[in-house]
Amino acid sequence: MNGTNLSVLLVVLFVSLPLYWLVATSLKGTREVATANLFPHAPTGSQYSTAFSTYDFGTYIETSVIVAVATTVLVLLLGIGAGYALGRLPLRGRNGIMVSLLMISLFPAVALAAPLYLLMRGIGWLNSYQGLILAYTAMTLPFAIWILRNYFISIPKEMEEVARMDGASPLRTVVSVILPQATPGIFTAGIFTFVASWTEFLIALTLNSEDRYRTIPVGIALFGGQFTTPYGTIFAASTVAMLPIALLVLVFRRAVVSGLTAGAVKG
Amino acid sequence: MTVAPVEKVLPEQQPQKTRPQPQHQSPPAGRAERHMVSAGWAFSAPSLLVVAGVMVFPIVFSVVMSLSNVNATVSGFHLSGLTFDNYSILFHADRYWHSLYFTVLYTIGTVFAEIIAGMLIALVLERLKSGRGWMMTLLLMPWAIVSVISAELWDYIYNGVYGVLNAALSPLFGHDINVLGTPLGATVGMAVADIWKTTPFVAVIILAGLVMLPGDVMEAGRMDGANGWQIFWHIRFPLMRPTLSIAVMFRILQAFGLFDLPYVLTNGGPGNSTESLALLGYQVLFVDLKFGPGAAVATSTAVIVLIGCLLFLKVFRSQVGQEEI
Repeated sequence: MNGTNLSVLLVVLFVSLPLYWLVATSLKGTREVATANLFPHAPTGSQYSTAFSTYDFGTYIETSVIVAVATTVLVLLLGIGAGYALGRLPLRGRNGIMVSLLMISLFPAVALAAPLYLLMRGIGWLNSYQGLILAYTAMTLPFAIWILRNYFISIPKEMEEVARMDGASPLRTVVSVILPQATPGIFTAGIFTFVASWTEFLIALTLNSEDRYRTIPVGIALFGGQFTTPYGTIFAASTVAMLPIALLVLVFRRAVVSGLTAGAVKG
Repeated sequence: MTVAPVEKVLPEQQPQKTRPQPQHQSPPAGRAERHMVSAGWAFSAPSLLVVAGVMVFPIVFSVVMSLSNVNATVSGFHLSGLTFDNYSILFHADRYWHSLYFTVLYTIGTVFAEIIAGMLIALVLERLKSGRGWMMTLLLMPWAIVSVISAELWDYIYNGVYGVLNAALSPLFGHDINVLGTPLGATVGMAVADIWKTTPFVAVIILAGLVMLPGDVMEAGRMDGANGWQIFWHIRFPLMRPTLSIAVMFRILQAFGLFDLPYVLTNGGPGNSTESLALLGYQVLFVDLKFGPGAAVATSTAVIVLIGCLLFLKVFRSQVGQEEI
């Protein structure tokens, strides 16, 4: 085995051993969770059923899916228009707007938590889907616009100009010329938005305190009582929560990487 | 405070061949041009309104709140007067200074470790002939995992009685090892959890940048007799600056807003040795319900992040001694 392969093996172990530990523990019975057995001696699905019966994990999944999907769709709808306009259309003050968006995305979430709480309380959207969706849409939009705009300006302009000569409206141009070419960038923005809304914790913790509207991260963090942490159940729930993300990454790996290249290198 | 260095990050600042150039268009384009401008505003207005309403308003409100006397009653909030009391309370509190010290140290330590390790991993993966795609997939997993989950996972690994780390180490030491029991152990333990989650993602960004580098420049270097290290340091590293600076900026931002990890893993303890600024802000705002000082913690955190990023860009630029980043 040469140096490269050995280093790759080390990297693989470093990344995957904790993940293995998570899944292995989720298959142990409650008594065995309190040991450091490397393999589950008597694999059981009991932790999984506990997550769904003793705790409301099904509800948390429902909330997370609704919020993350709705946020992603909204952000893409809004962000594609804005990204195109700020990248390609002759708007005065485009630079200023892009810099402001960057500045806004620098602001730490903890500073937004209190005023967002008041805002949502004011319009009666505490403990709701729409409150979280609106908050996440606003929080993830600046970064999505950034990725999309960088992708749009990397697309050659010729076809767009031909369409314009033919008298196509800007909206028509975006739909039939830009969108088909920008799919990788759109996937990237979509995945980043989805992952950000799926994993967000602080704002979800502050805005939605009722069990009915808790998301997966908040639900998992609040599993168990004050003095016990039911690790087995937590990891069973975590394994379930990891699946859609793992699938997403597996299917859209290329989009993530190519979008990053466009976003990071060109940026 | 100048915003120029941040502007440099934006591609807009580099000469773009693709940028629309209105002056080259023929005169009849005037109406079409106006049409395009109004379409542009129509396309971007919804986004800008949402961001302004739900992000800018809270930011402004947060800053105003930090400069006011806040009266929280059942009927709502009353802000009055302009005061620096909230800040002076902070600046006289050891807890604030410790939390600032911890956050800065933690940010510098983890970002440094993650960038170096990420660079090494990317360089190794670049030499990989096959299976790079699968490696990328594996590397993206920790990034996509919910950070609360990774915090619970490391909490379990570090458990002082039946944690796997204790099982591996206690025979060597002859007693149980409770990593999170001491301030130093808790800090290092948290940093390791952070490095595990984020380094792979940094590696993917850097690898994406490495693959994009033009091959002929390195070929030329090799022809001139440069060795591997020289090629890396004098040719590839400078070319990687844009990618690296973006990666570092993102990491600084994230590390400085550190909340989920200490909230689950240590709850700021032992004592308040691992209390980050974000956790302190949360405690003051939502547990102690002291809104003025809480807003001051949040606002001061934002200002420090901003200054940190600008400083980083300035130093990074002047050190490499070239204009464009």
